[in-house]
Amino acid sequence: MAFINYSSREIQLKIVYYGAALCGKTTNLVTLHKQITHAQKGELVSLATDADRTLFFDFLSLNTKTLPGFTTRFQLYTVPGQAIYNTTRQLVLKGVDGIVFCVDSHWDRMADNVESFANLQENLIENHLSLVQIPYVLQYNKRDIPNAAPINYLEFTFNNRANRVLAFEAVAATGSGVLETLNAAARLLLAKYSKTPNANVTGMSQPNLSVAVPPADSQVSASGKTAA
Amino acid sequence: MSSIGMLTAEDQMAIEQRLADFLAKSEAQWSALVDKGGNLFAQSGNTGSLDLSILSALAAGSFAATHELAKRLGESEFSALYHEGHGQHILMSALTHECLLVTIFGERTNIGLVRFYAQQATGLLNELLQQAQAKEATMAPLVLDGDFLGDKAAIS
Repeated sequence: MAFINYSSREIQLKIVYYGAALCGKTTNLVTLHKQITHAQKGELVSLATDADRTLFFDFLSLNTKTLPGFTTRFQLYTVPGQAIYNTTRQLVLKGVDGIVFCVDSHWDRMADNVESFANLQENLIENHLSLVQIPYVLQYNKRDIPNAAPINYLEFTFNNRANRVLAFEAVAATGSGVLETLNAAARLLLAKYSKTPNANVTGMSQPNLSVAVPPADSQVSASGKTAA
Repeated sequence: MSSIGMLTAEDQMAIEQRLADFLAKSEAQWSALVDKGGNLFAQSGNTGSLDLSILSALAAGSFAATHELAKRLGESEFSALYHEGHGQHILMSALTHECLLVTIFGERTNIGLVRFYAQQATGLLNELLQQAQAKEATMAPLVLDGDFLGDKAAIS
């Protein structure tokens, strides 16, 4: 849950990177830590095993001056993707404001991706939340691998709900699409406090909103951003 | 009991005053009110160049893991958690409203004294949190100008 401190004029927002094991959640944060130059950033903390597998979470704090009169502190967390760490994932989701769901584009990882997406929804319920309340974006990562699943397949699998969300192609290891994904999530979070509510923002009331999925080929532009 | 979503300047000052009193009595080095989601609400004392966001996130994570252990042992919650170092130690005490009191202390004091005054402080802080939540329920929600859905990057 967002925390607003009127004394220090600060808004703290928690964004969690969720996804299957080895889909690139930690790589997203490592790349962001390198890419971000203007926002005041903290140290990247990784609670990982000796083999660099996330054990508890990775954490990166970013202070921005996006809002006049307020400092916005985005606190980025990853969850451990391995199936055995489900309790840990539930703990990391506590107080979440926004989610980036990372999808591994490799064909062989589709079952894991689907399982992780279902697991996310179950763990949100454990925290008395749901994807209807929490703004989220999708990131189709590892688009550079030769046997990547086509975007229309990924859109059909992960973005086929009544409220379609923003989705981005990315190659987290090279930095492509990483900052775009985070910015989309950040803007969605801020939009929840907007004077002029936008129907595309997940978590806001959207009566009778039903958006048909357009042909997949038209969804992804050169910048990797899809239409909402 | 639900968590705290906002603090007014008045709440913040009252909490910081309680933390400062606690530090003065216990001779601890630093104390903070942190929520279980890892947000830092208020703090008092000095940690040098330590990144307080990281400290809060790790403290909340550590307490959450311990809480889960407690559940599995049939305890509703471990009310306090103590980590002993060589020169510095940390005590985390559960508060109401999904909050924690995190205290760092060194060799000037000892765990008995810190724990004793921490117990006093938790009672006083719980009252303040209760008042803050009651006030939050009556306050208008934060509304910002702009729709934030343009191409302008929030983070760069």
